[in-house]
Amino acid sequence: MKKRKIILFLLLILSIISIYIVNNNYNFYKEKIIKISNVKNKLETVEKSPFGLEEKYYKQIITGKLLNTKDKNKTITVENTYTTSNVVTEKYSKNDIVFIKDNTIIGLKRDKYIIYAIIIFVIFISIIGNKVGLISLASLIINITIFTIGLTLYQKGINLILLIIFETVIFTIVSLLITNGYNKKTKSAIISSLISIFVLIGLIMLVKIITKYNGINFNGMSFLTTPPEDVFTAEIIIGGLGAIMDVAITLSSSFDELVKKNKKISCEALKESAKNISQDITSTMINVLFFTYLSSALPTLILALRNGFTLKNYITSNYSLELTRFLIGSIGITLTIIVSTYSCLYIYKKEAK
Amino acid sequence: MNIFLAIILFILLVIISRKKGIKIFFSIIINFILLIITFYLIALGLNPIFVSIIFCLITSYIVLFYINGKNQKTKTSFIAIFIVLLLMLLFIYIIVIKAKLGGFGSESSEEINMFSYDININMITIEISLIIIGLIGATIDSSIAISSALYEVYYNNPDLSTKNLIKSGMSIGKDILTTTINTLFFAYLCDFMTLLIWFKISKYSLGDILNAKVFASEFIKILSSGLGCIIIIPITSIISAYIYKNRLLIEEETS
Repeated sequence: MKKRKIILFLLLILSIISIYIVNNNYNFYKEKIIKISNVKNKLETVEKSPFGLEEKYYKQIITGKLLNTKDKNKTITVENTYTTSNVVTEKYSKNDIVFIKDNTIIGLKRDKYIIYAIIIFVIFISIIGNKVGLISLASLIINITIFTIGLTLYQKGINLILLIIFETVIFTIVSLLITNGYNKKTKSAIISSLISIFVLIGLIMLVKIITKYNGINFNGMSFLTTPPEDVFTAEIIIGGLGAIMDVAITLSSSFDELVKKNKKISCEALKESAKNISQDITSTMINVLFFTYLSSALPTLILALRNGFTLKNYITSNYSLELTRFLIGSIGITLTIIVSTYSCLYIYKKEAK
Repeated sequence: MNIFLAIILFILLVIISRKKGIKIFFSIIINFILLIITFYLIALGLNPIFVSIIFCLITSYIVLFYINGKNQKTKTSFIAIFIVLLLMLLFIYIIVIKAKLGGFGSESSEEINMFSYDININMITIEISLIIIGLIGATIDSSIAISSALYEVYYNNPDLSTKNLIKSGMSIGKDILTTTINTLFFAYLCDFMTLLIWFKISKYSLGDILNAKVFASEFIKILSSGLGCIIIIPITSIISAYIYKNRLLIEEETS
């Protein structure tokens, strides 16, 4: 209890320090930063798109005070254009803090909003989640660190797929150990997850060989230097990982309980209860993946439909990437349920004998 | 190829849960059709935020009442989800407008330069809709888990006080919090990875990344989903405890 209070206190101090830093870190940046003090908006033109949509173009004359560089406190004036939709433009207003380069605004200073959002998240997770919340937080931080190290190694030229497979193993072991401690339940969950992951990777490779990712549009990934197919493969391996661990730990905890209560429980009874549990989790897990993956296409889809694309056209071409991700993730969940049921059964039955 | 994968998924679902597997598969298809209709309505020019809230409510309705049956547990979850949606809308609305997260960053120019940008829809509202739709899945998931478990607790110990019921709801919620956050984290990492690799290749500094619109909008999306499945815990616990204790919403029980 006391330890928790100390951690919460440290988090509070850390939050206050970071709020102070993001509001005073102007000298860390090489680009000029101004705080806008005055804005004049003027309607310039009304354009008509080839599809008959009217778009208003506005010009802003923005004055602001420099917050960094040697000309600090000097007032400068810049121009900016924005439109009704603001697909690639931005409307600025008084008190916004923005970066300036070559006398144009290159973007809003967003770091403080990132920090605010993190602080709000941390406050909620540590108050509502209590000790468990702090553990999840720790697990998140460690996973992010592992992933960042991986990215650096990738940049040094290590094969992406091998790297991801290796990281997947570390992610699984570390996350399950941190969140559940070292015990039989965790061991069984780690073994089940690892087997499931390798089965899933096998399946993905098989799909890759058979279909050659035929029909997937990699347009959104064309900027990469690594073949987009490899990045895509790495992504779908990572994407299902959380769900796989979730299924594995849920199944092994319940087996643990059942075997503890009744040492002589039969294989059939265990299988039956595994079936009941997995029915409950499959639909919800699949739903999580569904909304996470399929919602992210919204802005591009709106842009395409407003540019005369038909819905059918868009779904079969650009949307295929998200759909494949979702389908493979869901297949991963169902496969894990089958694999985990048998591997947990094996582990717990061996012990019962 | 996606049809091929969909068939594999269908077969696997039927293997693990027979009849319920078919139900799950059809609910995916219904959700997909609804999602596409929602996107289409937004593209037609209806208010994106309004349309996506309605979509979330319809989806929750289907997931809760069609898959899990219409009963006290699912009705309770529905109320809790509705409240969380409104609270999250407030949070998302403020942060998206403040941090100007609408539209595309300069990083996406290659992907979208074939389109005309004159589309006469405010992209800020599109971004808010996207985040709202993204968080509903995990929120429904947590809510139904808590209300079902609490239902068992209450009907096995009807003498428990409302306060103790809320307490046990919170502890059930905490148990699933870690796994849900974990699931979300890796799912979003998959979504995010192309971008992170790109930042690495283009040698973005930490400062560049933290101020880039494309990073901020992904990041806020992830945090909002996480926040959604955190605040659903106390809200579902309190509402469930109150409803079960006062035996509300049971008159038209069907299952």
